[in-house]
Amino acid sequence: MRNIWLILRREYLVRVRSKAFVLFTVLLPLLMGAAVLLPTKLAIHSSSTRRVTIVSSDATLAAAVRGELEEMRMSEDEDPSRKLKSTPSPDAKSKKPAFVVSVENTPNDALKERLTAELRDNKLDGFLWIAPDAMTSRKAVYYSRNGSDFVEASQVSRGLRFALSEQQLSARGVGTAEAKKLLGPVDVDTVKVDKSGSNKSNGMGAFFLPFALLMMIYVTVLTYGLYVMRSVIEEKSSRVVEVLLGSVTPFELMAGKILGVAAVGLTQISIWMVAATAMGAGAMAMVGDLMKDAHLDPAVKFLFPVYFLLGYLTYACLYAAIGAVVNSDEEAQQLQFPVTIPLIACMVVATSVIRDPNTSMAFWFSMFPLTSPIIMFVRATVSMPPVWQIVVSIALSLVTLYGLVWLTSRIYRVGILMYGKRPTLPEILKWIKYS
Amino acid sequence: MAYTLELDRIRKSFDEFVAVDDLSFQIREGEIFGLLGPNGAGKTSSIRMMIGITLPDSGEIRIFGEPFSRRSLERVGYLPEERGLYKKMSIVDNLIFLGCLKGLTPAEAERRARHWLERMELAEWAGSKVEELSKGMQQKVQFVAAVLHEPGFMILDEPFSGLDPASSVVLKDALLDLKKQGKTILFSTHRMDTVERLCDSICLVNRGRSVLLGNLREVKASYGRSSVQLEYEGALPLLQDPTLVSGSNDFGNYVELRLAKGADPQRVLAEAMKTSTVRRFEVVEPSLEEIFIDTVEKTKVEKVVAVTHA
Repeated sequence: MRNIWLILRREYLVRVRSKAFVLFTVLLPLLMGAAVLLPTKLAIHSSSTRRVTIVSSDATLAAAVRGELEEMRMSEDEDPSRKLKSTPSPDAKSKKPAFVVSVENTPNDALKERLTAELRDNKLDGFLWIAPDAMTSRKAVYYSRNGSDFVEASQVSRGLRFALSEQQLSARGVGTAEAKKLLGPVDVDTVKVDKSGSNKSNGMGAFFLPFALLMMIYVTVLTYGLYVMRSVIEEKSSRVVEVLLGSVTPFELMAGKILGVAAVGLTQISIWMVAATAMGAGAMAMVGDLMKDAHLDPAVKFLFPVYFLLGYLTYACLYAAIGAVVNSDEEAQQLQFPVTIPLIACMVVATSVIRDPNTSMAFWFSMFPLTSPIIMFVRATVSMPPVWQIVVSIALSLVTLYGLVWLTSRIYRVGILMYGKRPTLPEILKWIKYS
Repeated sequence: MAYTLELDRIRKSFDEFVAVDDLSFQIREGEIFGLLGPNGAGKTSSIRMMIGITLPDSGEIRIFGEPFSRRSLERVGYLPEERGLYKKMSIVDNLIFLGCLKGLTPAEAERRARHWLERMELAEWAGSKVEELSKGMQQKVQFVAAVLHEPGFMILDEPFSGLDPASSVVLKDALLDLKKQGKTILFSTHRMDTVERLCDSICLVNRGRSVLLGNLREVKASYGRSSVQLEYEGALPLLQDPTLVSGSNDFGNYVELRLAKGADPQRVLAEAMKTSTVRRFEVVEPSLEEIFIDTVEKTKVEKVVAVTHA
């Protein structure tokens, strides 16, 4: 035991003191945050009010479109999850309008050229060219400098759609006020129902938070598993292993190493958790409305270290065996791929598991010991699975782990003393029988 | 007489390959024992069994008079043939870690490490990382790691390889000092001159078997004064004469030759003077190198014979 402890301690201290540890501790949450926030932030265009011109020979229609656009506020699209609500929120009046609109009623080539030039000179942000037969064809062209700004384009198209519909309704005898009411928004909130009751949840947050946690557990399991492998290769190639074996058994060496790296991982996770709790309010404000409604079961906090440990230990054993079999990092790269396949498979199915954590595929992935630590955890972040499933997955994982320790320690113990040619699979199988 | 190490008919095979076959020898307390043999003879395999890295298929190993147990390893120092230290750790941290694994407290390990580094003329390097050291320096640090816990028995695999002459002297003095303190030392080597000067007993292994064993003086005496060392200028056709010479190791103007059975050394001298100027002529015990080569050759022949008969 003392030997395992000494090896564990060395492994732990060397890693925790390294620059890589500090960097990883700080950078991973930042990257995760960026991965969640950037796509949504990027989708929201610049915060400045856009100047657009509406060109239509139909003055009433143009005025109606203008009216619709001028009602839109910046706030409406700062949160993409609320894109579909067009009712001004109580404080909307205080926010800047999204558009400044001017109208031209004489569509001709000269006008088009002038507007294009203004657009190019940055005097205008876009113009909407409504075809004369727009009432029937419902067609128009929106010119802007940035064709891929789908938020802006969708706002303009919505304005046009409302204006057209209003006009058509009023042509059928529906009053303007009534038409507005008819065309008013519908408000659909998603509500997640689970055992603890129903919680209002927000579609985006409910997807991104589990996704961020998925990335966290995937990256930590993989990274720490690979640490073990590299550490084994380092000891083997620097031949320290032979010196150590004069004092400790191969099993003590492997156990101390794997536990030492596990302690590093748990330290890192604790730092993240403490930091997340401490920054709680601040972090939430930073993430904004996006996460506010994402609901996490409190048990997830406990499941994270549990599933990290299970996943890490499973892969650490496999990676330790690979490290023992090879002579260099290059050789290891070829061998580690088959072992990494289940982890990659987790990433492939994870998105659909987050969308629907109750499919039979999600179930089996969350039971299979090589994928369960990640997929079961992801399921738990979306909606807590029945307790028996969690218990069974942990039990299966532990049984597998027991077998893996037995198997890989036998490969390890022979492998670390073998130099030169990489052994073939039959040779490795033979090692398992050596005493 | 107490024995520090006893090997009793140990055998180790990997699949069909027999690495160690029926090997037995004893090392007396307080002696320096040389384990000799050509590459692949089974030296490292035997040593690994003495230190418990692998277990023999059959046979018994006794250390300090007791059957092998891992607990006795705290009293054994081991310098493996393949040296290794943590490259990114400082020398003193490496030594503290390895010392702790042998049962020392960190403080005691550090105190002894600094003392030994002083002695090995490495004191100023104590805080440097291992990767900053030359090969020879690393070797000395490795030696310190093997003796830090003051083991009663030291197993040193090729301790002199890669050392410059000055460092070799430092190491040799350290070994003799340890011997004076009553420690038992086993080392393996190819360097016969070192063995001749340092060892009390030897075991020569070839193909996993012991082919020559015993007290070094006795081993050499048993070969008798059957060798001639000759410094000369000119030619020596007598070397081809099987009635006079059974084997020779010619360096051009110096030759060591083994006399054929019943050959008269005076006749060799007379023949040599006919064809060359003799500068020095001495009838001596054979050098260990000669015995080594001779024995290895002989066992090779035996093996071939055995195979053809089989």
